Amino acid sequence: MFLVHTPLSNMAACTSRVREMMGLLRILRHFPQNERLLSTSILRHAAASDGPPKFTPPTKPVIIDKTQKEASLRRFLSPEFIPPRQRTNPVKFSVERKDMIQRRKVLNIPEFYVGSILAVAMTDPHVNGNLNRFVGICIQRSGKGLGATFILRNVVDGQGVEICYELYNPRMRKIEVLKLEKRLDDNLMYLRDALPEYSSFNFDMQPVHYEITGDVPVSPLKVKMKPKPWSKRWERPKFNIKGIRFDLCLTLEMMEHAQKWAEPWRPYDMLKEYDTFSLEEQIFKEVQGKSQNVNSP
Amino acid sequence: MTALTCRFIKLADGLLRGAPVTVCRAGAALQSRAPVIQCIRTHRTNTWWDEHLTEDNPWPRHEWVEGSRRVGLVAVKLGMMPVWTKSGERHVVTMLQVQDCHVVKHLSKEEYEGHTAALIVGGKNVSPFHRPEGYLEVFRNAGVPPKQKLTTFCVSDNAIIKPGTPLYAAHFRPGQYVDVTAKTIGKGFQGVMKRWGFKGQPASHGQTKTHRRPGSLGPGGDPAKVFKGKKMPGRMGNIYDTTHGLKVWRVNTKYNILYVNGSVPGHRNCLVKVRDSILPTRLENNKNPPFPTFFADGDEEIPEDLYDQDMFQFGEPMAE
Repeated sequence: MFLVHTPLSNMAACTSRVREMMGLLRILRHFPQNERLLSTSILRHAAASDGPPKFTPPTKPVIIDKTQKEASLRRFLSPEFIPPRQRTNPVKFSVERKDMIQRRKVLNIPEFYVGSILAVAMTDPHVNGNLNRFVGICIQRSGKGLGATFILRNVVDGQGVEICYELYNPRMRKIEVLKLEKRLDDNLMYLRDALPEYSSFNFDMQPVHYEITGDVPVSPLKVKMKPKPWSKRWERPKFNIKGIRFDLCLTLEMMEHAQKWAEPWRPYDMLKEYDTFSLEEQIFKEVQGKSQNVNSP
Repeated sequence: MTALTCRFIKLADGLLRGAPVTVCRAGAALQSRAPVIQCIRTHRTNTWWDEHLTEDNPWPRHEWVEGSRRVGLVAVKLGMMPVWTKSGERHVVTMLQVQDCHVVKHLSKEEYEGHTAALIVGGKNVSPFHRPEGYLEVFRNAGVPPKQKLTTFCVSDNAIIKPGTPLYAAHFRPGQYVDVTAKTIGKGFQGVMKRWGFKGQPASHGQTKTHRRPGSLGPGGDPAKVFKGKKMPGRMGNIYDTTHGLKVWRVNTKYNILYVNGSVPGHRNCLVKVRDSILPTRLENNKNPPFPTFFADGDEEIPEDLYDQDMFQFGEPMAE
């Protein structure tokens, strides 16, 4: 039996053709063995019978791999890749960067900022199960190149604990971002003088879902402080802190007195200018191109 | 002027790579004992091979014997970075890059007026302009571009190398111990506390105008003088200093970088002199080095990166 299915190009807008098909269909239904020859497209055309039948491709199977986290689609370059403003030979930085990229191929170092909550697992010979897990809020990211570090803070049994981890330490087993967010400041060292509720996080905290595209959420949280004296004079303009509720702990006079240490010429200091735009682009390409690592770049 | 420099450097490159090269320089003709290489070689050749193959070869290659001293290198201090061992300990290393290191002259035992022969080695290439003629002549005789730093290495007779041979970072292998000499960072005129580590005087409790002074200058009436060499304020730094017994953790043969344990005197981008350690406890680690040096033309195939046994390599999947 000839195949009834006609090519798409020939199916111009002609309802007469469809009527022919309908007739054929009625005839063919009497022969059960010919039903196999009825292609699905014809059936669809018979059903629609309005204008030219459009070709709808079958839905592609979407494979959602729930074991791996989705790769972040944000354009993020980790700050330790950007070399400091020094008179060093760029060969040194490029060789160091190769090592960093090699390490990132083995260990997934996710995108995180100061203010995000991380869970870090390190191998420790003195621990029973060999893995030493710590959960905390990242209060500082410092260091460039392979010696890059970040400090996690948490309150354990009423005692504030801060641990400084090296990103590229070979004993680092896993870095997991439980909650990705930014804060109003780059440096949250003032949490040492803030009320302990702002630094305490549950060790069994579940990862909070975050968007892989778009901007990172900035938490507008302003922290309440313990009474003065603090470890540093956080109200002074050199720290430029926006995340403290100064109105609750300092009077207007104290705030104005602190402004005496203001250096209004600093933003205009040309010697401190460091334009990293072109450097960042080049380094980003290098990092992206070479790193096809476990989870995400 | 830049065209001239280009041509001059191209000459050097030509000599290094064996490509056809035109010899021309404004003013005096280049009097170089090195022949102008006419043929194009397929592999990189850096020395004049013919002399090695003849029978009465003045520069024969010997095997390493205990008690022989070999050449060192001149390197540029790039910077520092951390390094981890397989057991998780963290050490810091200094990166020393060997840039255009060539053997420039050979002084025999009689010439050097010592008990050993000597080899003069030059570091980083510089422009031939603004340099005295006598300085440039040494390099012209060796057929090598002028270098920024020249150092002398005392060398045993079986380790002499033909002038003009390039020296590479693979001359040292991971696990060896080296001594690094360089000019320390100049601190200018400094007081006695910073320069010699004196304790000074207390800040309070009645001290009148005396907080950082040297105090007494010595005993009293009997010598009735201040001894020579008394530690006093003066210019500090900018003198040659050596750090002994530094372990080589890693050698990168592509960029010619040595990763040497700890810190090294000198500022970033300064030229340093690296040689095998003379410490008696480290002689065991320095056995069987590439002798007299590592030759790039040889049959030895070495990988791009050479690591020490204990060092953690970043490509390894989370070893421990």
